[in-house]
Amino acid sequence: MREGAGPWLGAAAALVYVVLLAPVAVVVFIAFSADSFIVFPPSGYSLRWFQRLWAHEALMRGLSLSLMLAGIVTIGSLAIGVPAAYAIARAKVPAAGALKAFFLAPLLLPTLVLGLALLMALQPLRLTATLTGLALGHMVMTVPFVIRLMVTTFATLPDEVEAAAASLGATPWRVFRRVTLPLAIPGLAASAFLSFLLSFDETVISLFISGPRASTLPVEMVRYVEGRTDPLVAALSVVLIVATLFVILVVERIAGLARVVGR
Amino acid sequence: MEQPLAARNHQCALTRRMSHLTLNRLSKRYGETVAVADVSLSVARGESVALLGPSGCGKTTTLRMIAGLIQPSAGAIEVLGVDVTQVPAHRRNMGYVFQSYALFPHMSVAANVGFGLDERGVGRSERDRRVAAALSQVRLEGLSARKPRELSGGQQQRVALARALVIEPDVLLLDESLSNLDARLRDAMRLEIRDLQRSLGITTLFVTHDQTEALTLCDRIAVMHAGRVEQIADPVTIYERPASRFVAEFVGRSVVLPVERSEAGLVLGGRPVRTAHPVPESRALELFLRPQRIALAGPETEAGAHNRLGGVVRSHVFVGDRLEVLVDTQAGRVTVETSGAGAVAQPGDAVSLIWSPSDTLVFARAAP
Ligand SMILES: Nc1ncnc2c1ncn2[C@@H]1O[C@H](COP(=O)(O)OP(=O)(O)OP(=O)(O)O)[C@@H](O)[C@H]1O
Ligand SMILES: [Mg+2]
Repeated sequence: MREGAGPWLGAAAALVYVVLLAPVAVVVFIAFSADSFIVFPPSGYSLRWFQRLWAHEALMRGLSLSLMLAGIVTIGSLAIGVPAAYAIARAKVPAAGALKAFFLAPLLLPTLVLGLALLMALQPLRLTATLTGLALGHMVMTVPFVIRLMVTTFATLPDEVEAAAASLGATPWRVFRRVTLPLAIPGLAASAFLSFLLSFDETVISLFISGPRASTLPVEMVRYVEGRTDPLVAALSVVLIVATLFVILVVERIAGLARVVGR
Repeated sequence: MEQPLAARNHQCALTRRMSHLTLNRLSKRYGETVAVADVSLSVARGESVALLGPSGCGKTTTLRMIAGLIQPSAGAIEVLGVDVTQVPAHRRNMGYVFQSYALFPHMSVAANVGFGLDERGVGRSERDRRVAAALSQVRLEGLSARKPRELSGGQQQRVALARALVIEPDVLLLDESLSNLDARLRDAMRLEIRDLQRSLGITTLFVTHDQTEALTLCDRIAVMHAGRVEQIADPVTIYERPASRFVAEFVGRSVVLPVERSEAGLVLGGRPVRTAHPVPESRALELFLRPQRIALAGPETEAGAHNRLGGVVRSHVFVGDRLEVLVDTQAGRVTVETSGAGAVAQPGDAVSLIWSPSDTLVFARAAP
């Protein structure tokens, strides 16, 4: 057998990548455009749209709110999702199977329905357009993801290893801290990464529960694009692409580190 | 060392009476499945007992209940007369060597072995000293910085053993720990474990489905079948005087022949046959013999008080350290084991099979 997939398959894969990535490449070109409107290819190149972006108050406020929100949502989702997943995976709660199904339900609902439901639930509590309300709204999305990922992570841990720790005198909490948690680092990194990106990216739910007092970056972007079409959003997209790549690299480092450490 | 015999006997009797680990009608049910049923066992201090039985007979379940990793459905576990049935695993002080070894993959060999000492709040220098001592006990001095996945199967097994021994457990529990190793390594580890166990005088329960392991490694054997203990005895008794048909079949090779009951006694292949052992009430009976306890002799040999069965040699099978001779008799085909030395009957020769009544066991025939 030949090494790899053969030239035809390779060429086909390359073509698919080109088709998929071409729009992204166009966005990158436009971001560095010197024109006042979206023209491809640009007639000249400059950093003016990045400077305009930096000076754009609403978008910058949206960006900082989104970053903070994503951080809070990540921490909150792990704090709720990890213990819940552990209890479900170890079947320490009654009806663990039913609970698992229940926690997965939000993943199956259209976000539009979820957004509306959240709006109706948060309004009486005066939590719409607040950081708390947005964080709660996003966690309805992210916690199920974390639970799902972590249940799988805990379920695939080597059998008997926790029992070994217990037989050596470790209390349940010490077993969790010294054995279970370190072995679950790759799953934890993936959960954190996913929560962060899901929250940072979330548009539909945010559109429902944002307001002038608290508005996330995607919501501000939608507002901006509604009014104008200039290369500013392209510049913003490039910033987001670079930031995402950076996060992926960091997670890869952590997960890779975990692999070096043991798994 | 020179103690009067009486005193020594007395001491012996004392330690025998003082049971270290006692299982009292221990049972475990999973819904309809009965994994372990009414297992009672008492192990003296320093004694090693094997739980021997086929796959799925409840050996691991028994061991896990003793370690506190599974809650029994009924029954009690006592250590030195104290009921520990409700004590959680981390307060039982039992060394458990798992079948999969269950080493902590993210920790070095030294950290694995030191784990139990950390949990007991042993200070750093003392811990390092004891870890080093435990590693040298299992001859792994140079490997303390390695990760488990950088070790061979035998080395992992020894780390698991050192990790269980270093906490100075009340009871050492070994679950099929040698079954993953190749034959030569297994033999070496068996001897090593037995020497360690004897020199430390540690009370040990050894789970295995390998009868050689049980026969060579342990003071007593508990043969398990379908969740129950069929017989508990020393290896010689288990082999020579199996208490049930199951034990006779499971431990060692057997020749099984149908035997009838008549007015005068038992009849095998049309000739009377004697046994020195009790015969069960059942009507359909079977005779069990160990193939190496049957002597081959000339066709007209006088058997005297021994049993005799005539037959014709069918074939030879050379099995390295012994020669198996297949003999067709009126009662059926019989395999006889000989050393292969001296004159051997050739295929077609008429021979007599001769064996002692004390080697003759009779059990009820198994339901077809
Ligand atoms: N968690 C469980 N749920 C249901 N049945 C179980 C469970 N654990 C064990 N059993 C059943 O209990 C019986 C005894 O299992 P156990 O693991 O003790 O066998 P074993 O003697 O150790 O076998 P092996 O030699 O294959 O390891 C088996 O029939 C098994 O299917
Ligand atoms: Mg087992």
